[in-house]
Formats: sequence, structure tokens, C-alpha cells
Amino acid sequence: MWNSFGFEFINFYFIPGLVLGCIYALGAIGITLTFSILRFANFAHGETMMTGAYLTWTVMAICSGVLGFAVHPLVAAVPATLLVVLLFLVTDRYFYKPFRQADTIKVVMASFGMMLIIRSAVQVIWGPNQLTFVPGIAKPNAYLKDWSGSIDFLLLIPNKHLFIFVGTIAFMMALSYLLNKTRIGKAMRAVSDSPDLAHVTGINVDQVIRATWIVGGACAMAAGVFLAMDIQMLETTMGFRMLLPMFAAAILGGIGKPYGAVLGGLVIGLAEELSAYPWIGDGPLLSPGYKTGVAFAIMVVMLIVRPQGLFKGRSF
Amino acid sequence: MKRTIFTTAAAMLCSTAVMAEVSVGNPMALTGPIPDLVAPMAQAVDLAAANVNAQGGMFAGGESYKIIRADSACDPVAAVDAVTKLINVNSVSAILGPVCSGATIAQAESVSFPAGVTTLSVSASSPAISTMEDGTDLMFRTAASDAYQGVALANLALAQGITEIAVSYANDDYNAAIAAVFSAAFAAAGGTVTANEAHEPSKASYRSEVATLGATSDNLALFAYYGSGGITLMRNALETGAFDTFLGADGMLSDEVIAQIGAENMGNVTFTTSASDSTTPAFAAWAALAEGAGIPASDPFVPNSYDAAFMLALAIEKTGDDNRASVSAALRSISSAPGEVILPGEWAKAKAILAAGGDINYEGAAGNQDFDENGDVAGLFSQSSVVDGAWSATLIK
Amino acid sequence: MDFGILLYVLSLLTVGGIYAIFALGLNVQWGFAGLFNVGIVGFAAVGAYTYALLTTAGSTYHLGGFGFPLPFGMLVAMITAAIVAGLIGLICIRLRSDYLAIATIGIAEIIKLIFKNETEITNGPRGINKIPRFWEHFSEERFYSSWPLSWFGTPEAWDAFFNSLPNWWWQPFFASTVLLIMYVIYRMLERARIAPWGRMMTAIRENEPAARASGKNVTARRIEAFVIGAAIMGLAGALFAQHLRLIEPTNTFDPAKVTFLVWVMLILGGSGNNRGAMLGAFLIWTIWSASELIITGAIDLLIDIFDGVDMGSLRTRAGFLRMMLIGLLLQVILQKFPRGILPEVRPASPKGIK
Repeated sequence: MWNSFGFEFINFYFIPGLVLGCIYALGAIGITLTFSILRFANFAHGETMMTGAYLTWTVMAICSGVLGFAVHPLVAAVPATLLVVLLFLVTDRYFYKPFRQADTIKVVMASFGMMLIIRSAVQVIWGPNQLTFVPGIAKPNAYLKDWSGSIDFLLLIPNKHLFIFVGTIAFMMALSYLLNKTRIGKAMRAVSDSPDLAHVTGINVDQVIRATWIVGGACAMAAGVFLAMDIQMLETTMGFRMLLPMFAAAILGGIGKPYGAVLGGLVIGLAEELSAYPWIGDGPLLSPGYKTGVAFAIMVVMLIVRPQGLFKGRSF
Repeated sequence: MKRTIFTTAAAMLCSTAVMAEVSVGNPMALTGPIPDLVAPMAQAVDLAAANVNAQGGMFAGGESYKIIRADSACDPVAAVDAVTKLINVNSVSAILGPVCSGATIAQAESVSFPAGVTTLSVSASSPAISTMEDGTDLMFRTAASDAYQGVALANLALAQGITEIAVSYANDDYNAAIAAVFSAAFAAAGGTVTANEAHEPSKASYRSEVATLGATSDNLALFAYYGSGGITLMRNALETGAFDTFLGADGMLSDEVIAQIGAENMGNVTFTTSASDSTTPAFAAWAALAEGAGIPASDPFVPNSYDAAFMLALAIEKTGDDNRASVSAALRSISSAPGEVILPGEWAKAKAILAAGGDINYEGAAGNQDFDENGDVAGLFSQSSVVDGAWSATLIK
Repeated sequence: MDFGILLYVLSLLTVGGIYAIFALGLNVQWGFAGLFNVGIVGFAAVGAYTYALLTTAGSTYHLGGFGFPLPFGMLVAMITAAIVAGLIGLICIRLRSDYLAIATIGIAEIIKLIFKNETEITNGPRGINKIPRFWEHFSEERFYSSWPLSWFGTPEAWDAFFNSLPNWWWQPFFASTVLLIMYVIYRMLERARIAPWGRMMTAIRENEPAARASGKNVTARRIEAFVIGAAIMGLAGALFAQHLRLIEPTNTFDPAKVTFLVWVMLILGGSGNNRGAMLGAFLIWTIWSASELIITGAIDLLIDIFDGVDMGSLRTRAGFLRMMLIGLLLQVILQKFPRGILPEVRPASPKGIK
């Protein structure tokens, strides 16, 4: 039965929650991989997402301004991804590698410093003002609307959200292939489980670390571009605001478990949007002022109750 | 090499102190949550200083009117630190206000009141500022208190035939304050506020908030900064089609909103702002100056910033000797009747009258700028809606 | 020297002193016990809000304004922060390093959200103002017309007296009070560090299984360090509120400017070393504050040199350069001085000193 209750719930709470969840999920994959393979919480991850979106914007601006043709953000994201991965590798070489054998705190502090450096650099280069990514508002996909309306299951999903769903699924399949079928993917999982053992069996740990940055960078990039596509603009704090929910997603799913991170991301995204649903009475269940707190609360409860996460990841 | 560095450093430290100039400290929220709102305001301040210097400068000697900018970051910590430096190290004559209300109050109570320095804020609109002084007369502002604008907006809503409305406000000092005034005034005048919810600024999605509010009413009163979540919320609301009519205050009034959302989607959107009658010569004078300098003339608080910078120059000129203690009284004198009316940019004329011992009365770009006993301006308000792809303002009578 | 610069130095000492107290509190948690607390801002906010609500005059904007004496407010600020830390400690303390960091950062954000949304109590994002500042508060009528000042003179006499003072009279007194509090905490922590408690802390941090095996109650000691550190941070928060005289939840308690800055101070000065923590605080705050003057001056100079080149955007973006500078400074310190300017000195046993 498709009454107005279900219609509102699906279109205005559930689907937006999934969109947000997809973005969190892609970001959380990078965090969980860095956490398990390099063994530190990378605070600069959100900034990488943001930089990726800015670079994509720049590629789009160059294409339409200098070369004279407009490109879709997902196309522009490809050259931008290379730059982001390069940024990741350079920061690793100069700012994280010196601490490989040192206390965790040192490298976490270093990533905190990187967060500030990257964000300030973006603010100096592109300026603190908002940039328009795609102007206008996104109307629901007309074909889907007609078709779903005809079977009495009206769905209002704009194209940008369809891109995000399809993109996330494609990314997940590629990642799954990489981790399960390729040599480097298996090596990554081995290092994640036990770096010493992996080293003894002759796995090139440095190569694995590079691969981690590349995979994490590509995922961060996708998350950043999807986020920019969704909110249709760019601002310099957009990455940082996603950081803690992404940590929450990684912890919820279990550190070192990419699928867990995806599930965690979806749960956090849905929980944030559904917290404002009028479950009881007419008002929102939780004042939207507390919306940001939902992810933190889930994260803290999870750390206390089940620190290994839903998927039995590593717990330190 | 060492000597070069040393002299450079010395020059940097001294350059602000020794030259023949009148300096005013200008803490602005250049970083922090609303840098995009502040950038044109800073340009307007610079434009006022340029106008003053181009028309003879300060005092008989033609000293330059220098704006020393600092970063208050919309943050009490940064504002207190910045103003401490401006007052003690740069020895400024007055403070040309921090942008956010919280930062303005903090710097005033912590630094500039104890030091006896006058603050003229450009955009702090919290009602708390009216009542914060205790026997001193050091706090002024060129932006009208939210207590006035919220009421004006509530009356506008009722005049448009809106009897019930949902309110969504960004949970920051400015928007929370004006939303509270609006809700109270709207309810008192016979309207119904169907829902009144805060939202966290700068989130990626407001769809669930919009849906929950949209279930209660077709009209939305939106209080947010366009630069920190306002545009996203409005876009989400338009995408879901939850609301027919949008009302709001000056935090949302920017060309950026039209550029991002598209004029074709903004048929039923009305935002208020404090403004002067655009038919007055004062506004025309300002609009011409702003256009010449490429500054958006009616963006939020931009005319207020110009007025503030220009009025401080007039007040210091009036003191005759760049004395901190007499700025406050002079500010009252140059801004109100009796006296020859001075419009934005008319520095040479004002300077001549003051030199002859005459009285002047500045009529500003954002209103007539007559301070009441609390240092507040009453201000007129205009309503803006989108006509032919641009904001079009009419005065609210 | 210019008198204004003297006043500026005084304000550097005041704020540096407050940050030094934060850094000392963090040193108990991280330097002594190895607890990775990234929620400093939460304890600061708890201390500041407790102090503000207890000591301000009655107000219609927020709960109370109870008008209690200032030292009482500072004491309760410490106690409240300690209680909050105790509750957090009971449930979180068993988490190790990064996990504790993420948990504390999340809890600090939740604390801020509560202060932001419980408008009835805290006035929400508009904040609490007119917070009384030590010494300066005596010139307010409600203080000079009540005890203890009313024992010494009539309100009229006090009013006349305060009006006769120069307007900066309270600054040296307030700065000295902050520095005195800092010194007292420093002495107490030094005692604790050399005492068996401090040596046990080192043992727990360095080799937990061994400490456990030798019969130490590791969890209880950890919570102890967490609570003591948080109480010190709560006190610093109360002083922070006095210095600012207005607190609001969003920007005053910005993690980048409280938590992060304090961490940089401790790491630069030398974690585990109380003197290092204080040195780091004064040094970093001075760099942070004075860098604005220098960067603005440098940009002015550039504009003078390259006359005609549009530097407007550079000037509005100078604030971000400052953030970048601090980030780079941190990287350099971490790599070149991994143990800080004043590295930790292991407390010798009392027998060893002889």
C-alpha cells in the first residue's frame, strides 16, 4: 500500500538518507583502509575530499571557459583524481612516512596539521567564497516519476541522486574485485590483518601503503565529487564537516572492513535524516539542531558497547 | 642579508605608528563561518576610505585615513585578540566593528569599553547590544537591531495575506535572534507559527528538516546566511516542492542566491533588509559610488559598512585632534540634525563645513543613521523579490 | 617603549597563561598517563559555562545569573568539569589511543551541541555576556556595594576611587592572578610527578601489563589522571570566560583554536614536562597573536613595493595564511624536535636523588 505516509517517508527521508549515506560510505572506505593498514586516524581525509571537488570544479571551469565545451562532473573528476592521488602520495612521503616507526600520536598530529595546511591552501588559492558547482535546482527524473507513478509507487529522484547511487555501486564492485581478486588487494588485506606476518611472507609493505593511498584517494575523490554534485556548490569546510560522521561510519562498520564502512556510512546517513522524522506526534523526533550529534552519539555508543564494530573489525 | 631582514621587520612594526595618518581598527570576520558575506563589506569600507583620501584626507594637513584590518573570524577569542592589538599596538582612534554580534560584544566588554574606545559596528544586529552598556556611550551600530527587522518582516508576512508559517533558522547568534523576534511578533499580530525549528548551519542536506516543516505549512520563514547552509536549505525545499512562499531576512539577500538557485525558481521569494529609501538622493549617491567600484550595492550590510567607515571619518574630523575620548560625542553630532545634509561620498563638502565650524548631518546609504540613546539606528526596511533575474527592492511603508 | 605595547604584552601573558593552564591539564592526561584526549574544548566549555551561569548578575536571557562570588564560581567550574570527566572516564577510559581520541572529539561536539540547543539555560548561540572578570569586577556596583568591599568603604567612596584609577588598572592584577594560578598548579603537578603517583603513572603509560602485574589498579589511575586533567581544564575554561567576558558555543569553542592549539603547545614544549607545557603555551600564543601583525605588515609592505598590483584578495586571505603557518610549524616541530623543546625528564626515585 502506497499511502501518503509511505510516500513522504521514502521520498523525503529515506532516499535523502541513502544519498548522504553513499557519500559517507565512500569517504569511510578511505578512512578505514588508512586506519587498518597505516594504523592511524587520518584527520586530513575530509580535506582531501574537498580538494578533489575543487579540482574537479577547476577542470570543469577550464573546459567550459578556455576550451569552450561543458563536461559532466564525473568526466572532469577523472583528471582531478590523478591530482588528488598525487597529493596523497606526496603528503605521505613528506609528512607521514617519517613517523612510520614512531608513536601513533605523532602521525595523527601530523595529519591534523595537514588538515589545516590543505584547507588554508585551498582558501588562499580559490578564496573562501562559495563556488557554484551546478546552478539551478534538480527536478525529479521525469521518466522515473511517470513510470513509478503508473504503478502507484511514486518516486521523486533527481538525476544527480541516480548518478550517486549508480556511482557508489560501481565503485563498490570495483573495490570488491580489487580486494578479492587482485594480488595487491590480497596483500592489502594481509597487511591490514597483521603487518608483521605480511612482511615476513615477503609482501612489499611500501607498495601496499602506496596502493592504500591510491584506493583511499580515489574513494575520497568520488565522495567529494558526489557531495559537490548533491549540494551543487563548493565551500572550504565541506570536507571537515563530513569527517566525524565518516569516522563514525568506519568505526560502526569495524576498522579495516571496507564493506563494514559502507554499511556504517549508510546507517549514519539514514540515522541523521530519519532523526528529524515525526515518529511521534507532528514535530520532529529530535530537534534538527541536534542532527549533527546523531552521528557522534552512534559513534560513542558503538565505541563503548562494541568497539570492534558490526563487522568484527580490528579493535585496539 | 641579516640587516635587510631586520630593517624589514622594523619597518613592518613601525609603519603603522609613525606616518601622519588617522587610523581606525577594522576587525572583520575574514575567516570563520561567513567569509563570503564579509568580502564585499570590507570592499565597501575600503571604498569609503578611498573617497575620504581622494577628497583631501583628514584635518587641515590632509593626513590619510587608514583602515587597519584585522581578522575577528566571527569568534570572540579572535576578536578580543585582534582588538587588543589594534588598540594597544596600532593605537587606533576607534573600532569599526567586528561583523558578528558575539564577537562585537566580547571585544567591547573585554577590551574596548575598558580602554574607553568607541565601537561602531557595521552589522551586529543582536538585540542584546542595545542594553549592554552601563553608563558609558561607546557602542554604536549602523545596522538596525533585529528587534526592528523581525517585526517588519512579521508585518510584511501578514500584509501578504500569510496567516500561518513555518520557521526554520540557522542556529547561530544572528539568525536565532531574528527568528525569535519574528515568531513572537507574528504570533502577537494574529498569525500562527506552525513549527519553529533550529537547523545546524552548513549541513550537506536539509531534506528531512524541510519535509517535517513542510508538512505543517506551505509558507516558510527562512533565517540563515546564504553562505552557510541557506542556499542548500532553499534548494532542498524547492526540489521537494514543500513550500510555495519563502520569506527571510538580509542574511539570504545576495546575488549569489539567484546565481546558484536560478531566478526562474524564485517566483515567490521575499527577503527584507535594512535600507534607505532608494528614491532618496543618499541611496542614489551610494549606488553610483558602489557601481563605480564594482561593489554589490544592496548585498547584506554592505551599505551599512560604507556608512560606518564614512561616519567614523567624519566624527574624527569633527574632534579636530584625533582624540579617542571625543569620538563618541562627535559621532552623535555628525549623524543627526541640525546641520547641512551630507550624502555618501561628499567628503570635501563635509570637511569644508566642519572646518568653518558648521554642523553636518550625514544621511547614509543604509538609512538616515540617527543614533538613539543606545547607539542604535531605527532604519527603514525594504522588501526584495526577484524581477527579471535580479533583486528588486521596494521600501516597506 | 610605547605604553600600549606594554599593555599588549600584558594581554599576551594573560592569554598565554590561560593556555598554559590548559596545556598543564593536558600534560596530566597525555604527558603523564598517555590518554589521547582530543576533547579539550568540551571541558573548557563546561568550565566556562558553569562559571558564567554562577557568577553573572541575574538575566532574562539565560538560566540564573546567580551572582555568586568569583572564586566560588571557579571552584564549581573545576568540580563540574571533573564530574563530567569522571562520567566519560568510566565508560571510555579503556579505549586506547586513536579510539579515545575519536570518542572524546565526539563527546566534546555533543557537549557543544547541548550548550547550543538548550536555549532556556544557556541562551543558545547568542551566548552569555557580562561575565565578571577578576579584579575588574570590583568596579561594578553589585560588587563594591556588597562584602567584602563594603566593609572598607561606602559605595560612593569606592565609586570615586575606581573612577580615579586609569582605565587599565585591572590588567596587571588580572594577569598576575592568572600567572599565580598557573604557578600553583605547576608546583602541585611537579610534586605529583616526583611523588610515587607520578612514577606509577609513567610505569602505566610505558608498560601497562607490567604495571598491572605488579598490582596497580591501572583503570582507576587512568580515570584519576583524566579527571584531574579535566578539572584543570575546567578552571582554565573559567579563566577563558573571564578574559573574553562573552561566551557562545559555536565559535568561542572552536576545536581548531582550542583543542588543536593546546596540543601544538604541549607537543612543542615537550609532553611529560610541565615547564615545557608552559613554555610551549606562551611561545605558540605569542606566535599566533603576533603573526597577524607581521603578516599584515608584510602585506602592506608588498603593496607598497608593487604599487598598482591588485592585492585586495591577498589581504582578505591573510588570515588563512596564518592557519597554514601554524600547520607547517607543527610539521617542522614534529619532525625536527620529536620530544619538544624541553624533553621529558624521568623522575628519579628519592633514593636516587641522594
